[in-house]
Amino acid sequence: MSAPTAEPATGASSVGGTEVGDGDGVVLRVEDVSVSFGGIRALHMVSLAAGAGGVTGLIGPNGAGKTTLFNVITGLEKPAQGRVRLGGADLSGMAPHRRARLGMARTFQRLEVFGSLSVRDNILTGAEFHRSWSRHAEDPASVTEEILDRVGLRAVADLRVDAIPTGMARLVELGRALATRPRLLLLDEPGSGLDENESEDLGRLLIELGEAGVAVLLVEHDVDLVMRISRTVFVLDFGRIIASGSPSEVQADPHVRAAYLGTQPSTDDGGGAGSAGSAGSSSSGGGGGA
Amino acid sequence: MSEFLTYTIIGLVTGCIYALTASGLVVTYMTTGILNFGHGAVSMVAAFAYWQLTIEWHMPVLLALILVILVGAPVFGALLERLLMRPLQGKPVELQVVVTVGLLIFLLGLANLAWSPAASATRTLPRFFSGHSLKLASVFVDYHSIVVVAVAVAVAIGLRFFFSVSRTGVAMRAVVDNPGLAAMAGARPNRIAQFSWALGAALAALGGVLLAPLQGALNIDLLTLTVILAIVPAVIGRLRSLPLTVAGGLVIGLAVTYAVGYLPPDSFVAKAQTAIPMVILFVALVLLRQERLRSGRVTGMTIARAPSLSRSLVAAGVFIVVAVVVSELVSGVNLGTATRGVVLGIAFLSLVLLTGYAGQVSLGQMTFVGTGAYAMAHLGHHGSLVGVLAAVAVSGGLGALVAIFAVRLRGLYLALSTLAFAYAMDYIFFDQHFGPYGSGLSVDRLHVPGLDTTSDKGFFILGAVIFALAGVGLLALRRGRYGRRLAALNDSPQACATLGVNIAYTKLAVFSASAALAGLAGALYGGQQHLVTSADFQTFNSLVLLLLVLLGGKSLVSGALATAVLYALFPVLQQHVPSLSNIQYVLVGLGALTLGRNPEGLGGQITRLRDLLVDRSGRAESGPAWTVEGERLVGADG
Repeated sequence: MSAPTAEPATGASSVGGTEVGDGDGVVLRVEDVSVSFGGIRALHMVSLAAGAGGVTGLIGPNGAGKTTLFNVITGLEKPAQGRVRLGGADLSGMAPHRRARLGMARTFQRLEVFGSLSVRDNILTGAEFHRSWSRHAEDPASVTEEILDRVGLRAVADLRVDAIPTGMARLVELGRALATRPRLLLLDEPGSGLDENESEDLGRLLIELGEAGVAVLLVEHDVDLVMRISRTVFVLDFGRIIASGSPSEVQADPHVRAAYLGTQPSTDDGGGAGSAGSAGSSSSGGGGGA
Repeated sequence: MSEFLTYTIIGLVTGCIYALTASGLVVTYMTTGILNFGHGAVSMVAAFAYWQLTIEWHMPVLLALILVILVGAPVFGALLERLLMRPLQGKPVELQVVVTVGLLIFLLGLANLAWSPAASATRTLPRFFSGHSLKLASVFVDYHSIVVVAVAVAVAIGLRFFFSVSRTGVAMRAVVDNPGLAAMAGARPNRIAQFSWALGAALAALGGVLLAPLQGALNIDLLTLTVILAIVPAVIGRLRSLPLTVAGGLVIGLAVTYAVGYLPPDSFVAKAQTAIPMVILFVALVLLRQERLRSGRVTGMTIARAPSLSRSLVAAGVFIVVAVVVSELVSGVNLGTATRGVVLGIAFLSLVLLTGYAGQVSLGQMTFVGTGAYAMAHLGHHGSLVGVLAAVAVSGGLGALVAIFAVRLRGLYLALSTLAFAYAMDYIFFDQHFGPYGSGLSVDRLHVPGLDTTSDKGFFILGAVIFALAGVGLLALRRGRYGRRLAALNDSPQACATLGVNIAYTKLAVFSASAALAGLAGALYGGQQHLVTSADFQTFNSLVLLLLVLLGGKSLVSGALATAVLYALFPVLQQHVPSLSNIQYVLVGLGALTLGRNPEGLGGQITRLRDLLVDRSGRAESGPAWTVEGERLVGADG
């Protein structure tokens, strides 16, 4: 699989070539992003980076702010402070569709499929959207057939999406996102609802995508999967990044173990986080740390 | 000075009634997320019931007040919640809007049946403490006005107290903030919703009983419309804040009264003063900060698949042949009715495109039909094609203009903005430009070479052919790329945005296209009627049109045709069976009330039945009628 088509980026900071970002292969940079909902801090000074050609993992208990971060990156949510860069370009204030046109695509934790369309038409629609705003896009129909095979949805291609199981619908969202040939792919729990074999396949697919040059930012509850396929892992808890590094470094981090096992490490008092995350911190059954 | 004082007092009294009724709207919206478009009709029915009890049946005033405001209205409100509104929780906004609009139309129809407008002049309600007044500086203020103000103040204070101190009130506020959490804490959202509907209905009734004596003879439409204006202060209060709502009510009461009092009577604004609140509503909607795109909604409902091109062409051919046969068999009034049916069918198709395919609600589609007729009247002399092209361009352009402001809005707010626009146009445009005193505007029929369109027969066939073309075109559109785009927009605007789609532009385009199609219908409708009046294009008709399209199955071309013919039959019914002249609205309203439980409409049911009978090959494609994302995903992340 060749490298994905790079989209013509708008603005002066566009990078002419391929998927390379600001010199060191970093495609996505999140810098000091904070978000509050009515006084409760959902994200506090979050910074992270996702590089081309591999999977970056983002884990954390329920309510840690992972989806909020995705919403900030894709422009659905405005941060109170901080900025997001894609390939060096500052995305501040940019509408979601403009960001997508710069080459980012995502899936949603709470499904946002086109339920009244078939699986094939969901992916086809993604490809057609891509063609409508990109000058050098391929034929949507052939893109669609390629992706159906790639994500393993050929058998259900003609079914309406609101009639298929949730796990498969997640793959439809993945396929639809791929149809826009993104250089940055944000996946919000693509593995939930999949059985062991299917999640194995998903892992392989994500590694393949990474090898093809796509920067994948993966939010996933299946910590084993994340640790297995990620180059770098960030851990979010109560809206803060509490650890980052290689999978083995992160697994050894005491803060991470505390966040996942529900005990408070002696050094960290959780800062200004309110009640938002407290319900979630103990309920996560991830348990894949050790 | 005394003039100013008089106007101020009248304005304050009117404003107090707006504030009262708007508070009722806000209370129900806060706890259930449903804006009751039938609120004004509840006020109206309450006023009539009160009249019936006190004047007709000579019941003591106090007893009648208790029966209407403290017993009848709350029970009615609670029943509404239990039977109609509860199934609407979590359903798309368009259904929530349509069901309460259905309630409005149903109650209007019922009231017209029960209290025939022919005898309306004899129905008057005395003011409270009639004959007594108080001298305030240089003006006399009657006791009724004082009662209105006192009641409004008492209710405002009472609500404030209720929401801050009482257990139920605090629980209601908790439900607003987070229903799930409130339920866990022991609040019962269903009971609270029921209570808030009861309270809302009681406030509507109170407003109606206080308002009616101020309006002279009881008038069904006037009472209802006045209270519908309570939507304006409710929106100013962002459907959440009672103090802002009350302030909004007072401002609107004063603004309208001063406009009537001080502007020269023949000035444009004075003539259009009734539109002032709706203009304010439109501006308020546009300026309001919008909530974020919400996710986790209900996905699209099962809709019949679009037939293939060959099938739709065959159906169109058959339709035209049938039309030719009909034109030979039928003449006179009946042929006129049939023609009205097919040309209005094109207007119905414009809503199939907008609401059925793209999932956008318009409560003012008839306005674009009207501007089409207007363009044809002025530029389509002797049936010139220029008139039709102008109709399409004018209506399409106007649709785009509205959309520029409205596309930013979503769901309920979008629906409200189309309502405000249509309502304002009734007074600003239609009442003023459709002949002096609404006498009408004469419109020529489109001339087509080779067809004698001046004959009723020829024009009917022309209408049928254009409908068939529009239908085939719409189906082709739906099967294709653009149809997928609209379905995607309908199912998940959020996903569309993150796939690079400019949602605002897409919505604007479909709004404009739909308005243009409605304009085409208007040009033909005008030709059919020869003389069109402002009454043809009133907002009320837009509401009926939307209900009918949804009843017919909102994405079905055949459903649009069937319901359009039904609509064309309404005036005929009125003429031949005057005693049942409003039964059609009762039925349409009643039908719309069922949409909460049966969102596919009658047309959708029939299609489903046909699919079951004709094609039993087990179409795997037709999934469950409804798939609630939230439900399906419960526990997915826990």
